[in-house]
Amino acid sequence: MHEMAKELLDAGERAFIDQVIVSKDERPGALLGILEAVQEHHPHKYLPMETLEYIALKTQTPLSRVYSVATFYALFNLQPQGDNTICICRGTACHTRGSRNLLESLRLELGLTLEDESDGGGADKILQTTPDQKFTVRTVACFGQCALAPVVEVNHHICGHANERTLQREIQTIERGSE
Amino acid sequence: MPQKKLSVRIDGELISAVEGQTILQAARANGKRIPTLCDLEGLTPVGACRLCIVEISGTDRLFPACTTPVQDGMSVTTVSPKLTQYRRVSLELLFVERNHVCSACVSNGHCELQAMATEMGISTVRFAYNYPKLAVDLSHPRYVLDQNRCILCTRCVRVCAELEGAHVWEVTSRGIHSRIVGDLNQKWGDAKGCTSCGKCVQACPTGALAEKGWAVEEMVKKNDNISSLVRRRGVQA
Ligand code: FES
Ligand code: FES
Repeated sequence: MHEMAKELLDAGERAFIDQVIVSKDERPGALLGILEAVQEHHPHKYLPMETLEYIALKTQTPLSRVYSVATFYALFNLQPQGDNTICICRGTACHTRGSRNLLESLRLELGLTLEDESDGGGADKILQTTPDQKFTVRTVACFGQCALAPVVEVNHHICGHANERTLQREIQTIERGSE
Repeated sequence: MPQKKLSVRIDGELISAVEGQTILQAARANGKRIPTLCDLEGLTPVGACRLCIVEISGTDRLFPACTTPVQDGMSVTTVSPKLTQYRRVSLELLFVERNHVCSACVSNGHCELQAMATEMGISTVRFAYNYPKLAVDLSHPRYVLDQNRCILCTRCVRVCAELEGAHVWEVTSRGIHSRIVGDLNQKWGDAKGCTSCGKCVQACPTGALAEKGWAVEEMVKKNDNISSLVRRRGVQA
């Protein structure tokens, strides 16, 4: 399995990971920083399995521990992310201000399925990417901007008091920009 | 260097404890039993199940006996109506979380969760069941992992990491989505680190980890073996 990780990652990727690991100086708790830097470096902002395996091998961390850390934090993605990320707050304040409808109309707008595929009925935790890899829709529990509810984050830019119209406009702007 | 002796009261009885002991260890050393599920003697305590909660006079908070160190002059109550009530709720929530169907379980009659429920007099659960759809991993030639019966005590995680040194198991995700996972979410049969030692199976309090080849009610765990192994190796946590 470990050999496989070496084969599947190209030399540049491996060199980058090696360098990140060295820069973290083998400090305890360095794993988080390593995963973050490596994910940020990936064009699709995610951590493929081969990468996790390679990091485990190089940092001498058990595979299960790496996987556990990467799945505990919402920050880490194990699936490729779209070019644009739209993040809708599903916290209490935003919920009472209609964030569920906002989320649903956004998913319809982007042609994403509405049935929930994740196990355990966690309908409030969503992470979906359009087939053309252009948009990723995700949710958070609270941005800490409750006064601006409902809050939507488009490509790391916060939009307060969002409604369907503002969302549509944001999407149009992005689509026009990419043409 | 001799360890400092402490005197503690447990349920009114004065006992002597050693500095660094947890309340649970001190109680056990003096023949007092506190209900536990996630604790397994010899493994690092994690305080996951909350059955060992006790009252400490001078504070309203409840403390897990397995992770709280004893202090000189402490007065601990291990049995009270309040504690019983809290322990029952913890247990009921464990039942609600997964699909515990005792009548079809290899560990029926030898299950620590079941025994604890019997002890606490739980015959019905007041909350709605969660009924998650969970997989059963049959890929290992000798053992089975049935997530439906897992209570996330993490004994398997700890015994594999601390005693076997293989660290095949971990907990993935969090909250209601938490699951026991092997390696990078691989099937057990594909887990490279697994030595097939079976310690996780013996450490598991329920039928979540079991040996193949046993029918309903036949899987008896030998978790005493694990504690004695720890004692002999002197790696006591
Ligand atoms: S609930 Fe949405 S920002 Fe707090
Ligand atoms: S035994 Fe103490 S919390 Fe489980």
